[in-house]
Amino acid sequence: MTHQVSISVADLTIRFPVYGVDAKSLKKHLARVTVGGRLGLSLAGATEVTALTKLNVELRAGDRLGLIGHNGSGKTTLLRALSGAYEPDDGMIDVHGRIAALLDLSLGIDPSATGYDNIRLRGRIAGLSAKEIDSRMDEIADFTGLGPFLSMPVKTYSAGMQARLAFAAATAVEADVLLMDEWIAVGDSDFQKLAHKRLLNLVERAGILVLASHDLDLLRLYCNKVMRLEGGVASPVTDIRKLSELLAA
Amino acid sequence: MDTATHMLRTGRRGALFEFNMGLRDLSMSLQRIGLAWSLAWHDIVSRYRGSILGPFWITLSMGLMVAGMGVLYARLFGISLHDFIPFVATGIVFFGVISGIINEGCDTFVHAAGMLSQTALPMFTFVWRVVFRNLINLAHNFVIILGVLIYFGYWRTMNLPVAVIGLLFLVINSAWIGMLAAIASARFRDVPQIVISVMQFAIFMTPVFWQPARLGRAHAFLVYNPFYHMLDAVRAPLLGDQPDAHTYGFLALMALVGWALTFTVFTRTRRRIVHYL
Repeated sequence: MTHQVSISVADLTIRFPVYGVDAKSLKKHLARVTVGGRLGLSLAGATEVTALTKLNVELRAGDRLGLIGHNGSGKTTLLRALSGAYEPDDGMIDVHGRIAALLDLSLGIDPSATGYDNIRLRGRIAGLSAKEIDSRMDEIADFTGLGPFLSMPVKTYSAGMQARLAFAAATAVEADVLLMDEWIAVGDSDFQKLAHKRLLNLVERAGILVLASHDLDLLRLYCNKVMRLEGGVASPVTDIRKLSELLAA
Repeated sequence: MDTATHMLRTGRRGALFEFNMGLRDLSMSLQRIGLAWSLAWHDIVSRYRGSILGPFWITLSMGLMVAGMGVLYARLFGISLHDFIPFVATGIVFFGVISGIINEGCDTFVHAAGMLSQTALPMFTFVWRVVFRNLINLAHNFVIILGVLIYFGYWRTMNLPVAVIGLLFLVINSAWIGMLAAIASARFRDVPQIVISVMQFAIFMTPVFWQPARLGRAHAFLVYNPFYHMLDAVRAPLLGDQPDAHTYGFLALMALVGWALTFTVFTRTRRRIVHYL
């Protein structure tokens, strides 16, 4: 059964147990039991942080949502939850479409392996078969623009070169939903142009983009909607043209 | 744009729901079993990248160990090389599979932190990755076993199909111990140290280097030693012998109880594992 590409988030709450150094030690844990410390929450020795509170978002094909907010406001947590890595404590996340999360450049990157090997590895993680990767290898290699460097270990790459590799490999999958966390700003102007083209391509195919950034110009360029997060509480989704009003609020 | 891919994540909805989500994780990992294989293969390749012998270092070091130990202990125990070398070769190699899966199991999730925190990959995929990695190691070591069995003439009496069934029992049981260790190690960083100590202790308490007959087959050290049963289920048929009568019952029961326990722990911690890391 096919379905329109969509993201539907209802009353999403994510609580984070933060396990301090203490909580990770078995000795402390056992000692607490033997001395008859209070069981229940205190046993876990973890402080709970509520990263997102009752967040609601509805996105449909063609929507490009920008996330703004201070550090620690829950932008990355929301992206990770949308990628399927974090399970909700309350509420629901419902995503129709193939998800590509570009949250961390180093995902599945093995520094001692060559660029080609890393493209293969990342492609496998993204859900491509070995055959599919081989058939797209030329195109991906071309897109990275790294040429002969692809047969060299990734540890010899600069940060910008790594960004090219990661972006090329991750967007090689025809993703319907692209989740991005800031780092698109890496890379030189040539790469920025290429990345720009590829993002527009995705938008044209009427996928969904969720982009967290502090760069307002970048958000104006790619997004048509914007949401502000503050201490895990989200503002309503507003039109990008009202960005300055949202910031002033 | 239409799509068939769908992901649904919700808050807790009772024990049955959590159980089903655990099962879903398992079945997703089996559907994408090729990924676990690719990751395992990549691990082996990257471990030996740049070395001349590559993964055959595994074979070489194991071969030296078997030769040295075989000759020395045969002399110490006063056993003929013909009896002892095949015994110790199979012992070291297959105990290596058990301890490999369990010891490396501790790092299963810790090493996968980057992937687990931004993809919806099934957790079980990483458990299979450790299992496959150790099976690839075994394949390299199997050259030695094959050589020894042929050289000492055991190939005439060995029962390969029964040994393969034994290996299956060995892997199924090591895998749940490894997964339990993986969850516990993600939460408590002391666990890997404990596991390593236990496995070091186990290699001496288990008839890897010494023959069980010297202790008497019904000794409590053997009857209640799970590693003995796991090892014997593979070793005995290779040496043209029969495993202990209780071995299969013991291993089947252990697999059942062990996986039930591990799966219960997994369903209760599945949501939290990514936050442990």
